[in-house]
Amino acid sequence: MQLRSEIQIASMIKAMKDVVIPAVDGDNRLAVEQAQLVVGMLSLMAHQLPLQFRFDRDELQRLLAYTQGLTELCSADRALGEAVRQLAGCRAAGAAALERCAGDPAQLNAAIRELRQAAGALVSAAADSSDEAAYRQVESAVLELSKEQLLRDRSLVLPQGWEPDPTAVPPIETLLDAGTG
Amino acid sequence: MTGVEFPPASRLAQALDKDRPPAEWIRSLRARFPTEAAIDRLLTRKMERRSGPGYTPVPLAALVAGVEALLRAQLEGPFKLGEARWLSGGASKLQMAFTLEWERPGAGREKTPMVLRMEPADSIVTTSRLREFQLLRAFEGVVPVPRVHWCDEQADYLPYPALVYEFSEGVTKPSSAAGGVSGTGIRFPAELRARLAPQFIGHLAAIHGRDYRTADLSAFDVPAAGTQCAQWGVNWWDRVWEEDCDEDVPLMRLASAWLRRNLPRLEQPCIVHSDYRAGNFLFTEHDGRITALLDWELGRIGDRHQDLAWTTNRAFGSMDEANRNFLVCGLLPESQFFEAYEQASGHRMNPKSLHWHKVYNNYWLAILLLATSYRIARNGKTHQDVLVTWLISLGYMVMDDMRQQIERGC
Repeated sequence: MQLRSEIQIASMIKAMKDVVIPAVDGDNRLAVEQAQLVVGMLSLMAHQLPLQFRFDRDELQRLLAYTQGLTELCSADRALGEAVRQLAGCRAAGAAALERCAGDPAQLNAAIRELRQAAGALVSAAADSSDEAAYRQVESAVLELSKEQLLRDRSLVLPQGWEPDPTAVPPIETLLDAGTG
Repeated sequence: MTGVEFPPASRLAQALDKDRPPAEWIRSLRARFPTEAAIDRLLTRKMERRSGPGYTPVPLAALVAGVEALLRAQLEGPFKLGEARWLSGGASKLQMAFTLEWERPGAGREKTPMVLRMEPADSIVTTSRLREFQLLRAFEGVVPVPRVHWCDEQADYLPYPALVYEFSEGVTKPSSAAGGVSGTGIRFPAELRARLAPQFIGHLAAIHGRDYRTADLSAFDVPAAGTQCAQWGVNWWDRVWEEDCDEDVPLMRLASAWLRRNLPRLEQPCIVHSDYRAGNFLFTEHDGRITALLDWELGRIGDRHQDLAWTTNRAFGSMDEANRNFLVCGLLPESQFFEAYEQASGHRMNPKSLHWHKVYNNYWLAILLLATSYRIARNGKTHQDVLVTWLISLGYMVMDDMRQQIERGC
């Protein structure tokens, strides 16, 4: 997906700074202040978004360590038995989640980009190959893969209103639920 | 610039920084993708300037001063500019409306509403103001076009290349109608459709009927008979894809190969508008008359099927009131459009060439949306990065349309 939050935020900040804020009535102090806050908030989002996943994972990691100590401190107190058991259940679920979140979203995206590029290079090379029958198979495979992916791409941006018949595109939640996403 | 940090490119792409393109890479692209001389020069200039500064807002006063300098070099008598204001519309160029008090040759002193049309630092589509100027001149008296007066092709007077033409009355969509940005998805009421559609088709036939050999089109190359026209076209956009794309798309590689394997022969060259659609013509609401055909920047001497395929693209149409029939440019069903065009032009369509051009048009439209829009917004190169960013995702619908067309052609 080329339309990612980084480019959206950058272009919104530029529009605010270059066009909108200079046009705001300087006497309307509420509007001036809020326009500047919008820029500040967008800049904060641009800073936070690439870190958000790591930030949350870091917190979960430290919470697990911290609650381990807490459990040890309180396990001797029988009055706290139920609370300690509940905490243990949550810790087990948290540890499992942490194990599943070993990679970063940035790594996921980098892997997608590399695969796209390598697959594209293969398609171009196959087009130049003299084996027509093999190329026909490559062509069919690319068209089939693209059909599934483009349906998801179109669905993800459905709220923008590009589709002449939006009812022909399933909601993105349905498409992602149907796959591993 | 905004201070937003973009994620690092993938390992495979890290060797090449497209935002700071090396001279050797630019040379290799020129050699790999031969096309019209003017297009080659424009794309080379774009790449040589890419690492330069982004677009910074130009005050109206600076544009007025630039136009005054241009006019001092062009006009002998006294003149006065007034009522300067920004115009919206279009995803690619800056437009300023103003009035000019001047001695019009043969008419005497008058106050004429004018428009300055200027490039930003970079654009969703890299085109020549001189080519646009020559096309507007070529069609004066043939179809309704804004009367063009001056061209600052090399930005000798203005911050960026520009041209000046007369302001045309009219609107691109009914004032009560819905529609997306940049002329997409416009809905015309039935009565207006009945008035506009015959004019819209008649003007397209007239454009294709204009003898290019009798016009001053020195900025254009004429393709030889055979497949050179199609070859130039694919080379042009393959080169732009290489220059601008960020995230690769295997389907785009497949489409390029498909286009090259199925190049159509050009039977009879004609002038092609290349962006003939709703949103690019003005009409007066009280009588439903088309007053101006706009945005000639992509025009070339080529194959009429390119326009026919473009105009009928799904991205520029809409469904009828019952949500049953797709209307070309929101005006009429495709079969009626083609039938009326054949009648008006006297030319039969070649279905195979039409099909190829549908794939071709979607291919280059997807490149503009997914690759160029991204690249120029990332580098802060335009006066409306937020608009070109908004347009990026339209590329997915266009690409899916192209995928289905390739499947049908297989």
